[in-house]
Amino acid sequence: MSVRDFLLTREGLHSWLSRLARDYPLIAPVEEEKGVITFKQVGGPQEIVFDCAPSTLPPKEWFLPSTEELFAFSTAGGGITLQEPPGPKERVLFGLHPCDVRALLALDPVFGGTYPDPYYLGRRKATIIVALSCTKPGPYCFCPAVGGDPVVAAGADLLLTESGSSFAVKAMTSRGEEIIQRYPGHFAPDEEGRGERARQELAGQLAGMFAFLPDLRGVKEFLDGHFELPYWEEVASRCLGCGICTYTCPTCHCFDIFDQSWDGARGLRARCWDSCMFSQFTRMAGGHNPRPTQKERVRNRFLHKLKYHQDRYGLGGCVGCGRCVAKCPVNIDIRRIIGDLKELASHG
Amino acid sequence: MKNPYLPLPMRLVKHFVETEDNLIHTFTLEFLKEEDEKSFRYLPGQFAEVCVFGVGEAPFGIASSPTEPGHLKFSVARVGVVTTALHQLPEGTILGVRGPLGNSYPIEEFKGKNVVIIGGGFAFTTLRSLVTYILHPQNRGDFGKVTVIYGARNPGLLLYKEELAAWEKRTDIELVTTIDRPVEGWSGRVGFVPAVTKEVAPSAENAYAVVCGPPIMIKFTLPVLEELGFPPERIIMSLENRMKCGIGMCGRCNVGNKYVCKDGPVFTRAQLNQLPNEY
Repeated sequence: MSVRDFLLTREGLHSWLSRLARDYPLIAPVEEEKGVITFKQVGGPQEIVFDCAPSTLPPKEWFLPSTEELFAFSTAGGGITLQEPPGPKERVLFGLHPCDVRALLALDPVFGGTYPDPYYLGRRKATIIVALSCTKPGPYCFCPAVGGDPVVAAGADLLLTESGSSFAVKAMTSRGEEIIQRYPGHFAPDEEGRGERARQELAGQLAGMFAFLPDLRGVKEFLDGHFELPYWEEVASRCLGCGICTYTCPTCHCFDIFDQSWDGARGLRARCWDSCMFSQFTRMAGGHNPRPTQKERVRNRFLHKLKYHQDRYGLGGCVGCGRCVAKCPVNIDIRRIIGDLKELASHG
Repeated sequence: MKNPYLPLPMRLVKHFVETEDNLIHTFTLEFLKEEDEKSFRYLPGQFAEVCVFGVGEAPFGIASSPTEPGHLKFSVARVGVVTTALHQLPEGTILGVRGPLGNSYPIEEFKGKNVVIIGGGFAFTTLRSLVTYILHPQNRGDFGKVTVIYGARNPGLLLYKEELAAWEKRTDIELVTTIDRPVEGWSGRVGFVPAVTKEVAPSAENAYAVVCGPPIMIKFTLPVLEELGFPPERIIMSLENRMKCGIGMCGRCNVGNKYVCKDGPVFTRAQLNQLPNEY
C-alpha cells in the first residue's frame, strides 16, 4: 500500500510553493485590495493568503471565466472559418476550501452531461487542486448544515491541514500522489497517522464555531410539494435584483452568449456570466416573461439551490460558503430562508 | 471532444416572405459540408440555434422534415435583434446552425395511432415538419387517420399556403383551416381554433393530439381536448422559453427542474401538469 499521508513543515510548504510557482501557473488566494480576497496567479508563497475564511469571490472564475471567447470567426474568402481559442496549460490551484471543492463537484455534471462543455472540462482537466482545510469558519459559513465538512475535500488532488507548526498532507488522487513524488525532499511520510488525528482534532474544534447552522432536514421535501408560497413575496419585497448572490456563488453557472464584431466579416462569439436575478434573463424577444417579477426570480434561485440541482444531479446546489449572505445589500440570508422554510414545513 | 458551441456552416439558398404582413420569413439553408448534412439527423419537433455571424444566435423549431434531405427550413418572426438581422439577409449568405437540439415529438408512440394536429398562427413550423414526415410515402402507412386543424387571423397569415393547398387535395389527411373573421373568397372555416376543434370533434380513441400555438389558443383548446376525451398523457405540447446555449447549461429556460432546451421542448400535458407555470 502506498503512503498517502505526508507531513510538510511550514518552511517545506513555502519552498514547495516556490517550486510549484516556477513549474506551473500557480493560482492561489491573494488580498487584491484590503479585505478583498480573490484567486490570482502568484509568483510565490509570499503573496498567498493562508488564513482560513472564504475568499471574497470563489475560484469558479478559473473554470468558468466571467467572460470567455468561444471561438473567433472570419468570413474572408466567401466561406466561414471558425477558430477555437487554445486550451489551458496544466496549472495548480492552491488553497481551495472544502466548500469550493464541493462546488466544483456540483458544477461538473452541469458541464459534463450529454453535451460535454470543452471549455470548462478542459480547465478542470488541466487543474491540479490542492485544498486547504479551514482553521476557522467565517461569520457566514454554514457548510455542515448542507452536508459539507471543513476538513474533508473529496474531489481535490491533495488536502493540506494545518497542524501546529506543520501541515498534514493527504493525497486524494493518483495525480495528487504524482505531484508529491515530483518534489522529493519536501514531504515526509506520515507513518503514525498524525494527519488523521490532526484533521479529527480540528474538526472537533470547528464544530462549535459556526454562528448559525440551519436545519435542512425536510426542507427539500417541503419545496417538492409547495411551489406557490406567499413567503417568496416577503423575500422578494426586499430583493433589489442586483445579482451579487449569483456573482459570488461558487455553484451559480448561468451565462449569456453574444457576438462581437466590428465589421461583420470578423469577430468572435463569447459567453459571460448572467444572473437569474435579472428581469431580462428570461424575457423573450416578443416581450413575454415567464418570471416577470422579482418574486418568481428569487424563488427560482432558492429552489435551484435547495431543490432543482438536487433533482437533476443528486447533489446539493448550495455548499454553505455564505458568500451570498456576506454580500447581500439587504441581508437576504439563505440560512434564515432555510430556517423559515423549515418552520413553514412544520406548520403544514 | 466535439464542441457543441461550434455552428455548422450553411448557405441561405431561399429567403421567402411567408406571410402578407411581412412578419414571417422562411429561410431554406443548405449544408456547406456533406459530412455535416449526414451527421445532422433530426426528427420533427426538434430545434436548432441559427446564427448570423457577428449578430448572434437564436433558437428556432425546425420546419423542414427529415424526409426532405439536403436542406433545413426555418420560419422566423421578426421580433428581436437576431431575427431582424435574418430578415435582411440576401440569399447566398453563410449562416451557422447548431443542432439538432432538444427532444422530438414522440413519433414512435404515434405509430399505429390517429394523430390530431392543432396549430395556430406562426407556431405551425414544427407541425409542418411533423405533417410532412407523416405524409411521406415511406411513413404514411405507420400512422392512422391524420387530422390537421390550423387557424390564423386571416388567410394571408397562414404559413405554407402552397402545401396547405396540396394537403387539401389529398384523401389521406383531413385538413381544416380557419380564420378569425369572414373574408371574401375564403372557402375554409371561420372561427377560433378551440371552437373549430369542438365542431370538428376529432375522436380521442386510439389518438394523440399535438397542440402548438399562442398561449391564448392553447388555454382554450386544452379544455376542448379534455372534453373530447384526450387524456393528458396523449396531449403533446411544445414550449418556447428564452434560450442561449440550447444544451442545458446557461440556466435560463428552466421550468421547475426541467430545462426546455434539453428535457423539452416537447412535453405531454401530463408532464406539464407536474411543473410550475413558468413558461
